[in-house]
Amino acid sequence: MNEKEKLYQERFKRYTTALDCGKPDKVPVVLPLGEWVVKYTDTTLQEAYYYVNKATEIIAGVVGDLDFDAMFGALNLWWPPMHEALGCKQYRFPGFYFEANEGFQYNEEEYMTADDYDDFIANPTKWLTEKYLPRINEEFAEPGSYRASVALVKGAAAFAMHNANNAAAGQKLAQECGIVPAISGMTKAPFDTLGDALRGTKGILLDLRRRPDKVLAACEAIVPHNVAYGMITSAGDTSLPCFAPLHKGAYPFLRRDHWEKFYWPTWKAVIENLWATGKRTLFYAEGDWTPYLDKIAELPDKSIVFCIDLTDAKKAKEFLGGRFCLYGGVPTTMLTYGTPQEVKDCVKQAIDELGSDGGFVLTAGGVAMSDAKRENIVAMLEAAREYGVY
Amino acid sequence: MAENKIKDFVAPAGTCVPWQVKKEEFGQLAGNEEIVKQEWEKLDGLAYAFIWFWVQR
Repeated sequence: MNEKEKLYQERFKRYTTALDCGKPDKVPVVLPLGEWVVKYTDTTLQEAYYYVNKATEIIAGVVGDLDFDAMFGALNLWWPPMHEALGCKQYRFPGFYFEANEGFQYNEEEYMTADDYDDFIANPTKWLTEKYLPRINEEFAEPGSYRASVALVKGAAAFAMHNANNAAAGQKLAQECGIVPAISGMTKAPFDTLGDALRGTKGILLDLRRRPDKVLAACEAIVPHNVAYGMITSAGDTSLPCFAPLHKGAYPFLRRDHWEKFYWPTWKAVIENLWATGKRTLFYAEGDWTPYLDKIAELPDKSIVFCIDLTDAKKAKEFLGGRFCLYGGVPTTMLTYGTPQEVKDCVKQAIDELGSDGGFVLTAGGVAMSDAKRENIVAMLEAAREYGVY
Repeated sequence: MAENKIKDFVAPAGTCVPWQVKKEEFGQLAGNEEIVKQEWEKLDGLAYAFIWFWVQR
């Protein structure tokens, strides 16, 4: 075993021990990768998005002199050429719609109309294939046509290519830099799947009043798909948690009775079904989830890793500590607007409050965006090492 | 594949065209059916991930 493999094994053990609520030698610390990294290079965001190999080189350059255990995030969440091959309306990428160093944007629309509920609920995958894909992708305007057929070939090929490139990049970073990925696979809360990409925010909020039974039925129809999607994208791995970015469940987006009725039951079902296969979920609770901690505590022990962004840390510890690994502790806003000293103080407080008896991973409580400051990220990693020794 | 063999079905989660459906269309296979099934399911899973990718942002 060479030095990098040894380093990987050491970090992997530290990280997974904490995920399992154990007490490793140190508090594991996760590097929040994101577009912010590109600012500190001579590369544009456009290059980082389009050239996967360039992004991997940048990451390898950044991580070389930093001490951390696992890495979360990406420089480029999507590969624009795949979207361009399909004429996708959902995203706007740097260098195409925006200047080369602007971040991406999501173009939210009601891509699924209120009249589509019954067909979607009856056969979700068929509906997505026949109705949704042609609506979000301009090249599919005439299904079966030359342009649509070519676009489908190119889109599927690009999907496979990008997955293979990402896998190769992950392997390279593991072998050459000893980097442990923080997650494997991805899933979502059914309400978010429905509200983010299908009905849109305005659509689903109106639906809660006008057609609540359809919302419930659609969320229930999505449950097995979000379990399957999590398992397929994990490629069978159960050692690392499945990433679940949670959007519309944060307080106060929904009032409590709506959250309990529309958001929680089907999200809980996804988590429990994944856990039944041995797959833990990274409950990526960006924002404030304090009012819902009592319900989250109903989940099976160790079935989630609970991410703390703006959730009250003491209450999270009180409700979830010991039974679930706690993750985060440094608000993403602080990485942008704070100072290194404020970040350092925050890390110390987080470790004191959350990490004294293990079962804690120190990192940002959400995705570090393009405006995060390098000096704050470095302060977070260094303070974690300074205060995080058991 | 004859047109009249294609049936309407609801694909279970994780599949686009489940093996059970395709097997009926294939009929009797001369060699090792398990090999055909395993590889069918791998590619079917990739297609499923591609379709659902667009709503899991």
